[in-house]
Amino acid sequence: MPATIHNKIRIVTAAALFDGHDAAINIMRRILQAKGAEIIHLGHNRSVHEIVECAIEEDANAIAITSYQGGHLEFFKYMKDLLDESGCGHIKIFGGGGGTILPAEIEELQRYGITRIYSPDDGRMMGLEGMIEDVINKADQAPPTIQGGILESAERMPFPLGEVYDIRLIARAITLAEQGENYSHLVHRLKANASKQLKSEIPHSTGGGASDEVAILGITGTGGAGKSSVTDEIVRRFLNSYSDKTIAVISVDPSKKKTGGALLGDRIRMNAISSSRAYMRSLATRQSDFALSKYVQDAIDICKAAGYDFIIVESAGVGQSDASILDYVDVSMYVMTPEYGAPSQLEKINMLDYADVICINKFDKAGALDALHDVRKQYKRNHELWDAKDDELPVVGTIAAQFNDAGINELFERLMETVAKKTGVNFNGEIEHHAHLKDTTDNSTIIPPRRVRYLSEIAETISGYNTWAEEQAAIATKLYQLVGVIKMLDEK
Amino acid sequence: MQTDELKKKYDELKMQLHPDVWKLMEQWSGLLKEYESDFFEFDVRGKKIKQDLVYRSLSGTRISKVYLPKYKDWGDILKWQLQENVPGEFPFTAGVFPLKREGEDPTRMFAGEGSPERTNRRFHYVSVGQPAKRLSTAFDSVTLYGEDPAPRPDIYGKVGNSGVSIATVDDAKKLYSGFDLCDAKTSVSMTINGPAPMLLAFFMNAAIDQQCEKYIIENGLSEAVNKAIESKWDIESLPKYTGEYGKKINPVKGNFDGHLPGGNNGLGLRLLGLSGRDVLPAEVYKKIKAHALATVRGTVQADILKEDQAQNTCIFSTEFALKLMGDVQEYFIKNKVQNFYSVSISGYHIAEAGANPITQLAFTLANGFTYVEYYLSRGMNIDDFAPNLSFFFSNGMDPEYSVIGRVARKIWAKAMKYKYKGNERSQKLKYHIQTSGRSLHAQEIDFNDIRTTLQALYAIYDNCSSLHTNAYDEAITTPTEESVRRAMAIQLIINRELGTAKNENPNQGAFLIEELTDLVEAAVLAEFERLSERGGVLGAMERMYQRNKIQEESLYYETLKHTGEYPIIGVNTFLNKKGSPTILPSEVIRSTTAEKDNQIEAVTLFQQRHKDRAADMLQRLQQVAVSNGNLFEELMETVQHCTLGQITNALYNVGGKYRRNM
Repeated sequence: MPATIHNKIRIVTAAALFDGHDAAINIMRRILQAKGAEIIHLGHNRSVHEIVECAIEEDANAIAITSYQGGHLEFFKYMKDLLDESGCGHIKIFGGGGGTILPAEIEELQRYGITRIYSPDDGRMMGLEGMIEDVINKADQAPPTIQGGILESAERMPFPLGEVYDIRLIARAITLAEQGENYSHLVHRLKANASKQLKSEIPHSTGGGASDEVAILGITGTGGAGKSSVTDEIVRRFLNSYSDKTIAVISVDPSKKKTGGALLGDRIRMNAISSSRAYMRSLATRQSDFALSKYVQDAIDICKAAGYDFIIVESAGVGQSDASILDYVDVSMYVMTPEYGAPSQLEKINMLDYADVICINKFDKAGALDALHDVRKQYKRNHELWDAKDDELPVVGTIAAQFNDAGINELFERLMETVAKKTGVNFNGEIEHHAHLKDTTDNSTIIPPRRVRYLSEIAETISGYNTWAEEQAAIATKLYQLVGVIKMLDEK
Repeated sequence: MQTDELKKKYDELKMQLHPDVWKLMEQWSGLLKEYESDFFEFDVRGKKIKQDLVYRSLSGTRISKVYLPKYKDWGDILKWQLQENVPGEFPFTAGVFPLKREGEDPTRMFAGEGSPERTNRRFHYVSVGQPAKRLSTAFDSVTLYGEDPAPRPDIYGKVGNSGVSIATVDDAKKLYSGFDLCDAKTSVSMTINGPAPMLLAFFMNAAIDQQCEKYIIENGLSEAVNKAIESKWDIESLPKYTGEYGKKINPVKGNFDGHLPGGNNGLGLRLLGLSGRDVLPAEVYKKIKAHALATVRGTVQADILKEDQAQNTCIFSTEFALKLMGDVQEYFIKNKVQNFYSVSISGYHIAEAGANPITQLAFTLANGFTYVEYYLSRGMNIDDFAPNLSFFFSNGMDPEYSVIGRVARKIWAKAMKYKYKGNERSQKLKYHIQTSGRSLHAQEIDFNDIRTTLQALYAIYDNCSSLHTNAYDEAITTPTEESVRRAMAIQLIINRELGTAKNENPNQGAFLIEELTDLVEAAVLAEFERLSERGGVLGAMERMYQRNKIQEESLYYETLKHTGEYPIIGVNTFLNKKGSPTILPSEVIRSTTAEKDNQIEAVTLFQQRHKDRAADMLQRLQQVAVSNGNLFEELMETVQHCTLGQITNALYNVGGKYRRNM
């Protein structure tokens, strides 16, 4: 009996805290997605706080967790408690842990309010698909509206998880927008909260719905260029640099045309997002061949109303011609890698005409300096800046994978400068400007570039030895035969 | 006339032979004689060792430990010498030592559960009567991820489960108390990766302080030291040892008599909460420390590459984690830590995640060569660090497992000798085997011991350096004392009862083994080329190549298991009348509330005791990181005042957290 989905189901998947066993959850999330669910995958080793915060911010219907390292009673109950305390008891919890979770414990957890824990016997009886369909059927319920369920109680409760704004209202408003429903009443409440916060001067809240003080940055680029890592590094620097400012990230990933499901995978790369001053929402395009969701504008408006000071919109991986992000943002950045092929390819990239800042990530890759040269040349051509100095162009090489990367530091400064210039928003007075000194380099080269073929060299050494051994043995055989013949002749 | 031409031809051909090769050929008849003798003499690090070469069966049959081929053709003999050779000779295919060590079975005792005290008790229980104490430590997942035990429920539930909870140097002292860590017969292995440098610093400090204790006792300083302690510290605030019957004993004032587990003489407990340097003159401490470091024996897993590829206990960014490993190795060289393996390059977890044996071997060796390249790039000398590297493989049922050690040894030896110009010691690959956990099933669990026995036989015939046999109930629960005893019996029965295992090169000369060796070697080299095309191990990791390949192979196995094409007795075929249902454990060993609370209390008290120094020490550590100094050298000091969680979080700010992948 195939499940038919009535509502768009969003499920957060992860492995429990201090638990690296992610093989099972990886299989489950793939099947869930194939059945049409939107999956926000967090990967392994996630705390209850991180998972619950994610589920609320993403307005998920359910959380699916694997736990193989013990401590599951405490883990799942704590998750239920935290959801209830946050007024989000409607979010269903599913779990599994093979034989590590005993039948009596499964009963105990289900009595406590965990929707379902699957045992190995369930697996054998229901099959993998059967279990997934069960999850989907149970999760497939319309989320409570403003009248029923959590949101009513939200009024009485402090904002969940110590967050600066009411992430429940933000999340639900974006969901309503995605469903084509009216969400103005929620925006109204968000604005009311924001102005209340402004009056009471609660620390960490300065936005106060003054939407003209908000800056919006768009990040776009090719798939696999490391957009999420760059975004995470920017979020981290923003939170560190401006200790009283708030930030929202709206990240878009493609829906699959065939199944309607989507893998919203940006969040797994994010280490900085769990701050109480940060909100993140993953959107599926819900239509194919688009880099953005139709509801990006709604999501931006809602985050503005809530009071976020800085909003980042990250698009799905785009082709050379896509520049759709420009319609939504104040400042735009294009992320690429040195691996784009021939320089003539650069002429086809639309964003090189429009992006305020260009980030060449993975700058430790071969050909990085050539890429920087080519992109700068192309940028000059596109902007008719024939006399501009190379250093002054907003083209920065970065290695987001490297901790405290000099390139990302420079990129962040450039971005904040551009934001100030284009929008007049200064997050913390004047922005420190450092002159460009040198391009980032890989400062802890694990394997020096000239040694990168080491495994090939080893294989050659060994094959060479083996061939040599055969040759020497063949000679030795001939010697043995000669000695034999000589002996035979001598005997005659 | 005719013969003269032939003799000329002979001389011509002989010129084409490499001089070393000719020497090998000349030595052959002497070698044959050497192995016909009843005894064998050889050198180990300058020491002459004489061992029996012969075993006599009950029927009086003479069984030699090493048999040589009866080939006549010089080419066959030479090829055998170049590709096989006797154990202990290049390319070490049959083994890196001429003979196995006498009086020491390659058995490791595995433990790790609850509090350090409980695991210590278990260590003493399993090693009682064993001349060699080879301890293997499993840590709980809180420790594996570098955090401190805490009351927060998602942490609390995991404290002391599936491993021992260790958050401070004092925990480490309790854990190994009663085992002289610098004794040549003691060796400790620690299964820890992300926070390995911190745990290693705990361990090294524990070992040093044990030697300080011994010095204090040997020099009759106990009274004086106790007095000094009482004048300087509030005795009541020092950490306590929880004895056998739950009594908490103060290390200075308390009497341990009757409260220690059998076999534990209390060594390592007298300086709980203190360092030897607090009570001994600086010069004396320095000398003891140097001696301890030079003699301590063991292994720390610390293999961060396979964590990213298969097991997921990375905590720091990969490059920072590698830097830490390099710092440990550099410290080892500088301080002459020569009996301790700084890394156990592990294929086990790659196999457990689903890789087939060829992929396991190829990825693991490739990881090993990556460490070699990295350490070389930091300016270390190959012969200074190669002997500190060790390997760890899984043995399952597949045919390739019968040659995994042979192929690993010969690839390593050839690469070390000809590519890296390493000396003979560097050419010798030593590896630990654990039988496959993945091949244990939760149905018909009695059959698991049969699988483990066969895998252990593969391992012993292949001359592994050490071996762990899994307990049959591991698929469903933490093994009990009874099941662990049976697992140990498997090894003992093979080693001591099985006649053919009296011989130490039973695999050599078997057509199947020779063919498999060639095939697996070629397959590994082909995988090296595929990794190389992707930019080497690190380049391939960035594209998730290893992860994806492991997953694909896992899925292939699961599919065949599901369809029954891959038969597993009692699981998908030969089911019993009841359908061979999944067995549920009758009882599950879990840490108790008291143990968890104790650990939380201990870590809190530790932090309170050191609150004046901790912030300063953490800042110093961060400064060393920023100025690119040796972090392990600093960690040796940091751990005297800071807990695991404090250190991990301080390092996040200077080294970056691990970023997950999909």
